[in-house]
Amino acid sequence: MAALSELRSSRSGPPAVNPPHETGGGPDDALVRAAQQGDRSAFGLLYARYSRMVHGILLARVPFSDVDDLVHDVFLQALPHLASLREVSRFPGWLASIARNCATDFHRRVKPNDEFDEESASAQDEKPALSTRHSSHSSAEAHAVLDAIRSLPDAYREPLILRLVEGMTGPEIAARTGLTHGSVRVNLHRGMLQLREILGRKASPPTGGVL
Amino acid sequence: MTTNQTDPEKEKMMNENYLWDASGVPDPEIQRLESLLADFHHAGRPLVLPAEMPSAPGKFRGLLLQMPWLPRLAAAAAILLALGITLFFSLRPMHAPDSGPAWDVANLQGAPQIGTKVIAADQTQAKLRVGQTITTNGDSRASLSQADLGEIRIEPNSRVRLVQTDPNRKRIQLDVGTIHAAIWAPPGTFVVDTPSAVAIDLGCTYTLQIAPDGSGTIRTTLGWVGFHLNGRDSFIPAGAMCSTRPKIGPGTPYFEDVSESFRDALFIFDVTEQSTDAGSKQLNTILSQARPRDGLTLWHLLSRTTGLERAQVYARFATLVPPPPGVTRSGILDLDQSMLDLWWNSLGLGDISVWRFWEQSASPQPSPNSQQLLQKKQSLLKQAP
Repeated sequence: MAALSELRSSRSGPPAVNPPHETGGGPDDALVRAAQQGDRSAFGLLYARYSRMVHGILLARVPFSDVDDLVHDVFLQALPHLASLREVSRFPGWLASIARNCATDFHRRVKPNDEFDEESASAQDEKPALSTRHSSHSSAEAHAVLDAIRSLPDAYREPLILRLVEGMTGPEIAARTGLTHGSVRVNLHRGMLQLREILGRKASPPTGGVL
Repeated sequence: MTTNQTDPEKEKMMNENYLWDASGVPDPEIQRLESLLADFHHAGRPLVLPAEMPSAPGKFRGLLLQMPWLPRLAAAAAILLALGITLFFSLRPMHAPDSGPAWDVANLQGAPQIGTKVIAADQTQAKLRVGQTITTNGDSRASLSQADLGEIRIEPNSRVRLVQTDPNRKRIQLDVGTIHAAIWAPPGTFVVDTPSAVAIDLGCTYTLQIAPDGSGTIRTTLGWVGFHLNGRDSFIPAGAMCSTRPKIGPGTPYFEDVSESFRDALFIFDVTEQSTDAGSKQLNTILSQARPRDGLTLWHLLSRTTGLERAQVYARFATLVPPPPGVTRSGILDLDQSMLDLWWNSLGLGDISVWRFWEQSASPQPSPNSQQLLQKKQSLLKQAP
């Protein structure tokens, strides 16, 4: 009922028809409350709205072939703990933290003593999973670009992956991750500058390059 | 993470609208990166929840096992007792059962009526029962609510009848007027009958308007809605709208930010017979002006076109939204349902398995979906002399 009241109070006038990313925190807060009360469909809606964000955060850290399973793990981990989330408006950041922790756990589990080997992960796991639309050359380019993004600082690689891979706009990234528009905008911009620099360096050898 | 207003880097950044929200002049380098990385994006795999809600991995379990046996026994007994008490209090009825299936009605403005009785402004106990009708005149508004369903606000000049209040299916009939629905019930529970389509809530808030001639419009604010009539389905996600017309049924949905010419072309296309010159002209306009976001519209057009037109729609759609792995051109041209579903899910607008579940639950026997119906119609037309 609390969730219902929240919706009621947020709809005092005719509803503004906005894309999900522009609807602000209200509707998501209400969904989180409903999910906290055991509403599975509300949790399903939260999954629909946040799975791309979780996917992007994981893709920034773990091999592509493991990301889908880990996205499920993140939501299944979040589900039983959701009731303990006191401030529902913190759900986006809370979920993002679970995703980051899940990626950390993955590395502990998979290679307890070694550093994550991005290249071998790309070579062994990711290439077969890509569609046949891309030639092997462009697939290699895609992996090179992904690796370049993953080499960026955390603050830059997440928004860049959410923007370039998951197709989210800056406002969507801000809404989904709980960050401010300003932070996302600056991180996207600076991350893109660094990415261009890295890809430019790779492109500069005489053998040709990524871009 | 703040920046100085005079920072020249920020000034440059402000021109990078395409990187920010994909608006403005597309940056070819970013577009190339998007295209290269498209295969890595989230494919919209549906979430499979366990049959029972998992409990939090408790630290207490490990703690319990580490205890000596006597305290362990005592702790286990205490936990069982607490569980028993909790169950007792949670399962006992909190309120006397309702005298019948009825929804709460509130007067929001003016003098709305249930049947011929006016709902007073200060009336707190007004109820709407199955079979009863609530009407609002030009300056009255009312709301309907039920704790496990949600709230429906009824705007002026509307007529709504309560049709069904089963635990798994709540149904109203909107003859004319406007309702705003904010629904909590599980997807597929709340259904609105209108003269030209049935609106099925898939977890959302939306506005539904029905004109005196039976035509209507739906605008979704959150989640998505299914519009359905005689095997013709339209899915309307947040930010999109869709019209419906008597005898034709749901039109093709589109995002509200499309251009006027796109909207006009779609309107004419929806009411024009298939494979005519007039329809083809409108289709060309739609396809040429479609943006990646308009994959919503193009996906629906796949099953509303035939032959060459469907191939045209496929080509444009595939350019704007590359088909996910497992989706082939021939499969789509044959309206393979699983491939259409995969492609829909890749749009990120809603998990279509929710709709398929509703389709199965709505009829005791599996009903053919719109694509299969269209295929049947086509084969019948071919056989016709």
